Amino acid sequence: MALAMADTHRSGGSDRPASTLARSGADFRYAFHAMATPCEVRVETDDAALAEAAGRAAEAEARRIEQKFSRYREDSVVGRINASRGRAIELDAETAQLIDFAAQCFEMSGGLFDITSGVLRKIWRFDGSDNVPAPEQIKAIQPFVGWQKVTWETPMLTLPVGMEIDLGGLGKEYAVDRALAAVGAATREPALINFGGDLVVSGARKGGGRWKVAIESVDHAGQMAAMIELADGAIATSGDARRFLLKDGVRYCHILDPRSCTPVTGAPRSVTVAAKTCVEAGMFATLSMLQGPRAEAFLKEEGVRAWCIW
Amino acid sequence: MKHRGFVRVRRAARLALALSALALLTSACASIGPKPWEKDLMARKEMSVNPYPLVAAADDHIYFSKEASSGGRGFAGGGCGCN
Amino acid sequence: MQLKTSKPAGHIRDTLATLSLGLIAANAAISPAAAQQSTDNTDATPGEVTLTLPYFEVGSAYLSYAESGGRVRATEPSVDFSYHASNGGVLTLGFQEDSVSGATPNGAAPADVAQSFVTPVQVKTSAATSSGGTGTTTVTTGFGDDTNVSGNGGEGGEGGGGGTTTGGTTTGGTTTGGTTTGSTTTVTVTTASGGSTIISVPSGSGTGGTTAVLGRQYTVPANTLPMDRGFQDQRFAGNIGWSQPLGPLSLAGVTLSYSKEHDYSSISGSASVAKDFNDHNTTLSFAVNYSSATSTPFGGVPTPLTVMNPQWKTVASRKKSDMDLVLGLTEVLTRRWILQANLSYGHSSGYQNDPYRIISQVDGVTGEPVDYLYESRPGSRTRESFYIDNKIDFDWVIPEVALRYYHDNWGISSETADISARFKLYRSLYVLPNVRFYQQSAANFFHYYLVNGQSLPAYASSDIRLGKFTAVTLGAQIGFNVTDNSEIYARAQIYQQTGDAHPAGMIGQLQNQNMFSGIKASWMMVGYTWSFN
Repeated sequence: MALAMADTHRSGGSDRPASTLARSGADFRYAFHAMATPCEVRVETDDAALAEAAGRAAEAEARRIEQKFSRYREDSVVGRINASRGRAIELDAETAQLIDFAAQCFEMSGGLFDITSGVLRKIWRFDGSDNVPAPEQIKAIQPFVGWQKVTWETPMLTLPVGMEIDLGGLGKEYAVDRALAAVGAATREPALINFGGDLVVSGARKGGGRWKVAIESVDHAGQMAAMIELADGAIATSGDARRFLLKDGVRYCHILDPRSCTPVTGAPRSVTVAAKTCVEAGMFATLSMLQGPRAEAFLKEEGVRAWCIW
Repeated sequence: MKHRGFVRVRRAARLALALSALALLTSACASIGPKPWEKDLMARKEMSVNPYPLVAAADDHIYFSKEASSGGRGFAGGGCGCN
Repeated sequence: MQLKTSKPAGHIRDTLATLSLGLIAANAAISPAAAQQSTDNTDATPGEVTLTLPYFEVGSAYLSYAESGGRVRATEPSVDFSYHASNGGVLTLGFQEDSVSGATPNGAAPADVAQSFVTPVQVKTSAATSSGGTGTTTVTTGFGDDTNVSGNGGEGGEGGGGGTTTGGTTTGGTTTGGTTTGSTTTVTVTTASGGSTIISVPSGSGTGGTTAVLGRQYTVPANTLPMDRGFQDQRFAGNIGWSQPLGPLSLAGVTLSYSKEHDYSSISGSASVAKDFNDHNTTLSFAVNYSSATSTPFGGVPTPLTVMNPQWKTVASRKKSDMDLVLGLTEVLTRRWILQANLSYGHSSGYQNDPYRIISQVDGVTGEPVDYLYESRPGSRTRESFYIDNKIDFDWVIPEVALRYYHDNWGISSETADISARFKLYRSLYVLPNVRFYQQSAANFFHYYLVNGQSLPAYASSDIRLGKFTAVTLGAQIGFNVTDNSEIYARAQIYQQTGDAHPAGMIGQLQNQNMFSGIKASWMMVGYTWSFN
């Protein structure tokens, strides 16, 4: 059942597999590839058609969000904003909601979470190399970072020339939550949405059982993995062991502090957070990473269920 | 090098490791195997290497006491004067 | 630089939770779950999420084992317990108890005449019975059955039946408990050990001349595999271990084990390290185990290749040590396929004989038994094995194939194939049939018997476990989850060894005997596993 594949920003020329539907234990598992990551929808049902409908609904939602907010597409909302050259742009309701959310996170975090920090990727390339930018480069880019420089009066957004926004730190988690809503409209059977490790469940499994999800924390190949069991809510992970820079023994993680325009140091390798929604979990994971060595203390203070890998 | 809990692995140790010869092996087979979020099946008891340790121990013990060979799966089933 | 400075704890969380819900619920369809979530927004815990933080696992099982032909029977209850700490550390404790009884081949070849064998007994004589009058004598046969014997028989050798000499000459044996009660006193042991009698054997060639030794004599009929029916033992074993991630190692662990029987004890310690690579899909492990065992046979340690006798031997115990190394690779090849391969090396040195086992010395023409000698095995054994195990998850069935090749410097090579498949029947109910094929070659010192008059080899054993045979196991396991975190299972296996009953080159009457003493056995196991926080 090959589906027409939507164009994604990191095509790389490789052949992505078509979406698949297969029985997996008591579930049907619908798998596809979107947002540069493997995605799956699990529905606890014996009805293949129902599972497929749910999976297609989730996939459609994922692709809609990917296209709408990709910073790599000129025709996306983000593409239009970044090409606005200082002119005010009127945003649709959904985008406005996201921008509102991001703005409040900026305020709440004292400027740590900033959707304008994407331009820093021009100088910081997290490819495992030692390409750390020179201080002059950092100084040169600083004027183009900082949400406080943006004028946001719903629904009108005015982005100073040279600045960019990037909803990548939000988009996948948002897609997960939205995909669950789409699945919920298709079926009330228990379901799990998992986009590359960021996931949410509709509720407990039939009979009250929990969904068991293995996270990267595997002790030992083949041994019992670190399992997260959840009957409700969402899980999101920030951090990636492979995305870092290594220079003079210092490991720069891929999370950038927009105030100093440098990567956060001393942060956990990854943080996994449980919350009611994937967006909330993802935001907490990101915010705690931005705390660097204080990540764990921060999570404890906030009373958040989280697991850090150092 | 992971943990459910809050164990910190010293960064220096990690670095030393990355530079070790074993890292060669890592890269050699880095393309093998499922991604972290594909570990759902492997995390299940029935896919673990030894899901029923008491069964395996009993069988190994019986075969150890009735046959000349021992070991293989783990250590020889010793500790008994039955052979 | 702190994210929050003066705000009350959890402030960001509350705000963020509300914002997030609002964001998701905005526009279009609201999922039932999200709607439900927003109604219980006051709930302090975000969803019911549990990570497998510290948890316990308990397993218990009961094994019942029986060999056909009235041979060994055993029961074994076992429990194991593990605690998985939040830092990745695992504490394990295990305990087993074995009760074994029944008949076991003594190593002698069958013959066309009845054969009698005499082994040591211990007599704890209460005062005033040394003259053979009335009174009670406690006789310990070495198999855990202390027996009260009414003293004083009088009749000579019951069950001698044309057999060969009982006992035989010995030199230098101390006669612990061997009270002088006259040369023909026979006491019938009234136990289930079946047909044994306590006899007094003159220690003919001793310097004292007339001292005699009590012995336990048992007779096996003609054309029957000689077995000692008095076999009985009990074993207790326990182990404790700890493992945890350590520095650059994914796992480092140590284990200590102890095992104790009436006549054997062993203590062992092992250490293991493991390192994960490649997203934890590859694990390399290395483990070393050292064990030290002490054999304290009833009646003392016999001198190899000397004639079987009821004397208490001067050497009370002998030691054996083992060193084993295992290099392991575990590889998760795909989401559904896991492979394990182990390379093992082991070395044993010290006493490796079965102290109760004998080997017939037969007439070179007729094949009739002449004497019975204690067996003799080399003091050194080096073994290597390669083991590979594959398991694939096809959802409805999980087949597993394990192969092992084994070789040791006693000349034994073996191949093992263990094949099973776990079929999912209904919900958690599964059935797991298995079949196992095994074949081994004989040790280079394996002999069915020795020939009287020929020079003795350095090593000789007629233990069929060191001989050439094949074995097949058939069985199945069935189980289901009682709750999410507990499982009950039952398992049954039948096992049969097959070998050459009439090997070429047998002498005289031995051509007509069944020379293969392998077993047919079956066992049942029921078990329960439970994990909890």
